[in-house]
Amino acid sequence: MPSSFFKPTLRYLVSLIVVAVFVFPIAWFGLTSIKPISAVFNKDRVVVFDFKPTLENYHVTVLGGEKASMVGGQSASMGTSGKGAYDGRGSILSSVIIAVASTFLATAIALLAAYALSRMRFWGAQGYLNWVLSQRFLPPIAIIIPLVFIFHDLGLRDTHFGIIIAHTLINIPIALLLLKSFFDDVPVEIDQAAMIDGATRFQCFYMVVLPMIRGGIAATAVLCFIFSWTEFILSLFLTNTIRTIPVKITTFVTSTGSEWGYISALGTAAIIPGFIFILLVQNHLVRGLTMGAIKD
Amino acid sequence: MAAQAKSGGLPRWLTSEHPLPWLFPVTSLLIVFGLYPVLYSLWLSFYKRNPATRTEKFLPSFNWNKLIGDDRVWDAVQVTFTYAVIALSIQLVLGMLIALLLDSDRKGFGVFRALMTLPLVVPPAVTGMMFLLMYDSSFGVISNSLYALNLLSPDKPILGTGSTALWGVIVADVWQWTPFMVLIMLAGLRALPREPFEAASIDGASSIQSFFFLTLPMMSKIIALAVLVRGIDLFRIFDYVKVMTDSGPGTATETLTAYAGTVYFKSANFSYASTVALATLILVLVVSTVFIKIFKIRF
Repeated sequence: MPSSFFKPTLRYLVSLIVVAVFVFPIAWFGLTSIKPISAVFNKDRVVVFDFKPTLENYHVTVLGGEKASMVGGQSASMGTSGKGAYDGRGSILSSVIIAVASTFLATAIALLAAYALSRMRFWGAQGYLNWVLSQRFLPPIAIIIPLVFIFHDLGLRDTHFGIIIAHTLINIPIALLLLKSFFDDVPVEIDQAAMIDGATRFQCFYMVVLPMIRGGIAATAVLCFIFSWTEFILSLFLTNTIRTIPVKITTFVTSTGSEWGYISALGTAAIIPGFIFILLVQNHLVRGLTMGAIKD
Repeated sequence: MAAQAKSGGLPRWLTSEHPLPWLFPVTSLLIVFGLYPVLYSLWLSFYKRNPATRTEKFLPSFNWNKLIGDDRVWDAVQVTFTYAVIALSIQLVLGMLIALLLDSDRKGFGVFRALMTLPLVVPPAVTGMMFLLMYDSSFGVISNSLYALNLLSPDKPILGTGSTALWGVIVADVWQWTPFMVLIMLAGLRALPREPFEAASIDGASSIQSFFFLTLPMMSKIIALAVLVRGIDLFRIFDYVKVMTDSGPGTATETLTAYAGTVYFKSANFSYASTVALATLILVLVVSTVFIKIFKIRF
């Protein structure tokens, strides 16, 4: 039968094409980042592969090196000072600090609440969960304007701590619902046995149940990290000088032209940590993306 | 009994036997930085701002009346719905088709599935940049491909033309979020029981029949959930619009959140910006509550 050969081969080929279409924008972006500027802006030959690859864009944006050539004339007309306007080191450091700290904070406090909601029966538990869930539905824009005022009054405007709080806030609903679904997987009998042996609730949580859901905690942490790492609107409104990577990249678009070399270099670099982390938690990815509603 | 012995003098509600200490950190954070700002927004929306004197006057109905009579708001609602419905439909159909395609244990398909997750980790602002680069009217690879196919003329740039700008933004959204649908559909397909399909094929059902009469009904819960999670994000869309078109050309791609941002940044009318932002919140809450009730989704 020809179909026994053709069908699998055809399926493989179609899959390959589909995946290629989805990988293409990233590949093109990555390719742009190692092109010399003359090859990027060449409108007569859009698809070029015979260029001499250069790491200059990474040298400038990731390592903070001097730029050898200027494109678009007055590229110094940025909001920040001209020299070092394309130096992304501060942004990378800020993004790492903010993502790590907010991931830690969100996971830690969500663990406590998720445990109580999974294990204790109390009045209003379902209502509480719905309230937390409704936070996930909250458009950031609805809280940003007052947050600007509140942060100003508390001295949190344009501080790392302020953005950490804001990112923790948006990660709480996902972390809490996801962790609760992992706690729900652990039989209640385990807690009961530990408490009969004389453990307090907290000891039972910390020493018995927590180690059992390590994989789930790791998956939650990875998702929180990615959400914080890619977040844009809160960082845009709540900071002026501290720039996370996504906000920093948008400042490379100027009225005199876009620095595509620098944009693509910093952008490509920003994708790498997320992709490594997401590969580590493939098993729990679907559960994470649906806040624990679909178990895998 | 055991709990009382271990409490060591503290009232019970301060010990780990009571839910209160467990819920305290999350609750206080959500109240101070989640609930309070919404109430603050509401309070702001009750003030009329006088741009000349830069003062505010308490006039509860002013901004809300202005909202109802503001054509730009209704345009933005229309853009938001158009955007959300088109993007969601494409992502849903494409996501299901690709999931069916990649649901195979053959060699190589695991790598395909891993590569499909790649767009999910790209910051949306960077996605906007990627597509800006590819749409560029002089050296963009997509624009030039479309010129070559005679589907686009160079004097009508994709994002600079009213009739195509929204589609340009939707394509970026579809690229980034179809993988999300693929992953969820794959999980759904893998959880399906085998027996009904075997029975159906013995009874002579075609694979298309089993898809429509078995796969789809059995996956309805998962599909509803995927639509809800994605739909909410689509109603809150901000990043792509801000980065790619900044609501333009004119207001062709101005969604509700983008309009609120514009009022905030350009006219500094915080009370009216809050009103528009709250309208977005109300819209999202109403649509999602109705949806959750209809499809009985539980988290």
